Amino acid sequence: MAFDAIFQPVQIGKLTIRNRVVSTAHAEVHATDGGMTTERYVRYYEEKAKGGCGLCICGGSSVVSIDSPQAWWSSVNLTTDRIIPHFQNLADAVHRHGGKIMIQITHMGRRSRWDGFDWPALVSPSGIREPVHRSTCKTIEEEEIWRIVGDFAQAARRAKEGGLDGVELSAVHQHLIDQFWSPRVNKRSDQWGGSFENRMRFGLEVLKAVRAEVGDDFVVGMRICGDEFHPDGLTHEDMKRIAAYYDATGQVDFFGVVGSGCDTHNSLANVIPNMSYPPEPFLHLAAGIREVVGVPVIHAQNIKDPNQAQRILEGGYVDLVGMTRAHIADPHLIAKIKMGQVDRIKQCVGANYCIDRQYQGLDVLCIQNAATSREYMGLPHIIEKTEGPKRRVVVVGGGPGGMEAAKVAAERGHEVTLFEAADSLGGQITIASKAPQRDQIAGITRWYQLELARLKVDLRLGTRADEATIQDLRPDIVVLATGGQPFMTQNPAWGYSENAEESLVVSAWDILSGKAAPGRNVLVFDAICEFSGVSAADYLADKGARVEIVTDDIKPGAAVGGTTFPTYYRSLYEKEVIMTSDLMLHKVYREGESLVAVLENEYTGVQEERVVDQVVVENGVRPDESLYYALKAQSRNGGQVDLEALYAARPQPCLAEERGEAGDGFLLFRLGDCVAPRNTHAAIYDALRICKDF
Amino acid sequence: MPETLLPILIFSALALAVIGAWRRIRLWRQGRPAEVDLLQGLAAMPRRYLVDLHHVVARDRAMSHTHVATAGGFVAAAVLMILVHGLGWTNPLLGGGLLVASATMFVGSLFVAKRRCDPPARLSRGPWMRLPKSLMAFSGGVFLITLSTLGLLPVEAGHWLAALVLAGLVTWGLGELFLGMTWGGPMKHAFAGALHLAFHRRPERFSAKGGGTGRSTGLKALDLDDTAVPLGVETPGDFTWNQLLGFDACVQCGRCEVACPAFAAGQPLNPKKLIQDMVVGMAGGSDANYAGSAYPSPGLGGKPVGEHSLERYGSPHGPIVAREGTALVDAGTLWSCTTCRACVEECPMMIEHVDAIVDMRRFLTLERGNTPGKGAEVLDNLIATDNPGGFDPGSRLHWAADLDLPLMADVQQAEVLLWLGDGAFDMRNQRTLRALVKILRAAGVDFAVLGTEERDSGDVARRLGDEATFQSLARRNIATLSKYRFQRIVTCDPHSFHVLGNEYGDFYPQGRDGRYDVAHHSTFISELHEGGRLTFRPWKGGSVTYHDPCYLGRYNGEYEAPRKVLAALGIQVAEMARSGFRSRCCGGGGGAPITDIPGKQRIPDMRMNDVKETGAELVAVGCPQCTAMLEGVVDAGAEVRDIAELVAEALVEHSTTQGTVRASRPATEEAIP
Repeated sequence: MAFDAIFQPVQIGKLTIRNRVVSTAHAEVHATDGGMTTERYVRYYEEKAKGGCGLCICGGSSVVSIDSPQAWWSSVNLTTDRIIPHFQNLADAVHRHGGKIMIQITHMGRRSRWDGFDWPALVSPSGIREPVHRSTCKTIEEEEIWRIVGDFAQAARRAKEGGLDGVELSAVHQHLIDQFWSPRVNKRSDQWGGSFENRMRFGLEVLKAVRAEVGDDFVVGMRICGDEFHPDGLTHEDMKRIAAYYDATGQVDFFGVVGSGCDTHNSLANVIPNMSYPPEPFLHLAAGIREVVGVPVIHAQNIKDPNQAQRILEGGYVDLVGMTRAHIADPHLIAKIKMGQVDRIKQCVGANYCIDRQYQGLDVLCIQNAATSREYMGLPHIIEKTEGPKRRVVVVGGGPGGMEAAKVAAERGHEVTLFEAADSLGGQITIASKAPQRDQIAGITRWYQLELARLKVDLRLGTRADEATIQDLRPDIVVLATGGQPFMTQNPAWGYSENAEESLVVSAWDILSGKAAPGRNVLVFDAICEFSGVSAADYLADKGARVEIVTDDIKPGAAVGGTTFPTYYRSLYEKEVIMTSDLMLHKVYREGESLVAVLENEYTGVQEERVVDQVVVENGVRPDESLYYALKAQSRNGGQVDLEALYAARPQPCLAEERGEAGDGFLLFRLGDCVAPRNTHAAIYDALRICKDF
Repeated sequence: MPETLLPILIFSALALAVIGAWRRIRLWRQGRPAEVDLLQGLAAMPRRYLVDLHHVVARDRAMSHTHVATAGGFVAAAVLMILVHGLGWTNPLLGGGLLVASATMFVGSLFVAKRRCDPPARLSRGPWMRLPKSLMAFSGGVFLITLSTLGLLPVEAGHWLAALVLAGLVTWGLGELFLGMTWGGPMKHAFAGALHLAFHRRPERFSAKGGGTGRSTGLKALDLDDTAVPLGVETPGDFTWNQLLGFDACVQCGRCEVACPAFAAGQPLNPKKLIQDMVVGMAGGSDANYAGSAYPSPGLGGKPVGEHSLERYGSPHGPIVAREGTALVDAGTLWSCTTCRACVEECPMMIEHVDAIVDMRRFLTLERGNTPGKGAEVLDNLIATDNPGGFDPGSRLHWAADLDLPLMADVQQAEVLLWLGDGAFDMRNQRTLRALVKILRAAGVDFAVLGTEERDSGDVARRLGDEATFQSLARRNIATLSKYRFQRIVTCDPHSFHVLGNEYGDFYPQGRDGRYDVAHHSTFISELHEGGRLTFRPWKGGSVTYHDPCYLGRYNGEYEAPRKVLAALGIQVAEMARSGFRSRCCGGGGGAPITDIPGKQRIPDMRMNDVKETGAELVAVGCPQCTAMLEGVVDAGAEVRDIAELVAEALVEHSTTQGTVRASRPATEEAIP
């Protein structure tokens, strides 16, 4: 049987898991009600269970003690019995579909923030500052250690009483347990530091207390790191020794292994490998741990594809694979494998929109799946066919918003035509995918291509729709997702012209799309600090250009996201790209064969000049509104969207209005950047919430 | 002159016919012995003919009437002719009777002739083309001579020339009808056919009063311990004598040819030709005189349908399938059969084609080890792992890891034993199984499964000719089943259903009798619904057709229950032209997908075209094999769903059970995108 290794049940402790696929612990950032799991939380996990996921470990970094602040990432709060009934809802919802659910519990020690809520003094073995959160802390005292050990046990009891199947003790990501392990952080000379046994003691006491509280018929696992990747941190051999040490107690039911520590920005990027990483980059570390322990080992990190999962499991490297982002992109991944619909799986592309939002304290969302974590609002992962009238829908623009609109409308059973001026689908995704190490973003387009073909959407590629072509089709609904163009005219002194011969500057899109050949000595001015600027700089450097990227913002790439800017920086520094902040592109003028870029310091007003042969400007997107205004007056709804309905994901009221004869006017909606420049998720979300009720 | 000539003609014809009969019987007797109750068979024969055989013939009304007139007229005319003209009893009553009989026969002959004017491709030509003329010669001649004998003709009609012509006609007729019956003309079918009905190897297939139960479809067990003879059939002489008799009864009407899915797919099988080849083998000689459709044989150097194949030679004790070169038939012919029984179902002469094919496969597999395609691998898998896919036997319940199915080993007894079948290893069929579990739970059925104690039923092994592996599986399954107490076996696999219900009986240990009460899931669901244990919400989907699985329909006569279930769901079935007992096979039976004999098209493609003709958006099925075959069709217009899946989706679950099952087991399936 295909994928038989995936579908082999596995025993963890006394628990049988129906297959080998796990949604591993991550902060959802939407357990919003004072740390109590909400309807939104429950539905998010229920969807995974419904979709066939074997085991969900929820609640990344759920706290056991009140001095490990819960509120920054809205993590689940296990410090009080109030959580128990909430857990019961959660457990029932997952069990109803044959899934199992555990929760990660932890004390974060120094890895948090102290400057809010209860204003705690964070604790850590030796009071050493943590750089990622810029957090200082106190040196933990013996009384506090024993209090926290007891808190772990009580938290585990609450999980058990709430009907969950187990707990995972977080000893990874530099939480309190592994703060004790790591000589880099633990400088103590008492019984809690120094020797190996002493450094292990806190974790062991936690394990013993938890096991004593919950007994044998409740799963207790431990998530550990495979190698901290710090010269003074724990090595892979150290971690094998640690794993074997705890395994020998016979009290650990499974180990989850994460390659890499994460107490710097650079190592953090390893933990949730983005699209620049190869598949399963740290599998060897997990496999190393598996060699020395006698219980099942779970490993996540860039395992996104069923064939990949099958190969890993078949090879016996680990016992269960974490496919966490894969489930955020498509919670029905397992069901689709079982249905023989592997090519219908919406595969995670490693854009890390989810985790980068999480690190900003925002709810975890998927760049390409707007239904994920919005199940509670009624946003569907499976679009039902309409029982209402069949409509003729025309979508203009084949970027993410347009593709989603066409897909959703076609799933509803309507007759859909999609116009795209370019020769292929994708819109700005196509441009984004041209940068080095960013090609996988095109996976978003690839999925839509397959889906639109399956749904037999009439694709008119290389066709720029105008008012007449649209009217000819006598549509009932017109959806505009025409995107926009680089905003190059904001400062006339940049010398931009539509005529490439005359223009003194080119756009980042021109560079990435290949429309403008890379120069040899290039200045990139990036007013936005998101992907396009650093992508263009990386692309140019990759083609051999000497590049300086300049921004008047904090730093180039500042808005790219915590797990992704490090991989850009690695690439840019390696290619000796100069990154300069606080300078604004004031003016560009030609001097002989060269261009002179006049830069002005944001804070002093002092100007300086660069002599280059190419100036690239990244200044965001200007919406393409022309078609909208050409059609607006003729449309039955005047192009207006009912915002209350939109925000509540209810049907647009105009859809219910009586229709006249065919050709008797149409409803007009616009989505994505042609409304206002936002991002891929925004475009797809608008498309889903408007089109799901067509 | 007729008065002297006719008795001579008649009695010499009868005498010659008797000699012919003796020779023919000797040919049949070349076969292996078979136990037959001769007297009881002869006594049952008229009823088997008039009821069972005519039940088949009557499917073609016109032909049925034609046959009644012609054959009935002939039998009456022949008897009366012997009395009137042979023995000279010129009693007007007998004479009048003879006139009526011969006239009736003549009219019948006209219709026979009409059919032969532009005969469909399925009918053999050759000698069969002259039969209507012979019938007319006989009946016309006898009629006129009888008129003359009764003095109803004005002439001393005895113009000698006319008399000679009449005598010639009668001689011709007598030759065809009396001699031909036993010496090997078209009329042979009457003689052999009558005896075949009497001495049929499956007397139980005839209606109860004809000595049977009305259905007999299980394969006969092979005695593996008999070392005196080869296993299976190598030569025509290895068939039992009554099988040879059955082959000899063939009328070459070609109904089997029309029904055969392999023939339609252009695979090298034509059941009619196969039976004729067996006759050639039995009698010796070549198939040069065969005048029907050949085996289609694309790419095998054969000739197109409708022409003779390369000439084949056979002899009673020569091999049917040659090791090298050609003998009577190619192995591919035997391996093309899906064992769908469409030919058997259509055969008016009650010939058992599938038995014969499996007999010959048994020899190829057991004695020669020549199972083609993936056959050998599948058999090896069965031997090593007890399942054809070679899966880890311990993984049989992996699909149900989250369902907490009660195991027989734990509960020891249950009302229903849910037999999973080897679909338990197939991801597609696992959906059906999960749906079925959901239904059983919704209806509150007390059931349990064997789990990893279950083995393949042996269906595929047996149809691939590996009787040894089949019997081993059967005996071990029976041993397992006999450990537990249950009232009934329910399965969603018609092949398991058939084998457990109809073929395991031969292998019960001494002292156990009775068959397992096995039900197909559609039957069981239908009963649950009728018993008020299941409630459905009304069907909201599009139009639906239903595909009858061969092993459910033709093998077991269950045509109604699936349709009842669909009706209960609120579905109006848009029937395919070929449905019910005439359902076209999906191509998945008999190990055909495993041996994979090439043809010019695939059987499931043809079946999905049948579906398409109904305009249905969905085809409901009740067999894992059918599901796999039909779903394998590229660009099929219709969705393929098992009845269990449709039922599970429509279930209205009673609120009373919700509280109790709350967290313990999944109430719903995984999302189906």
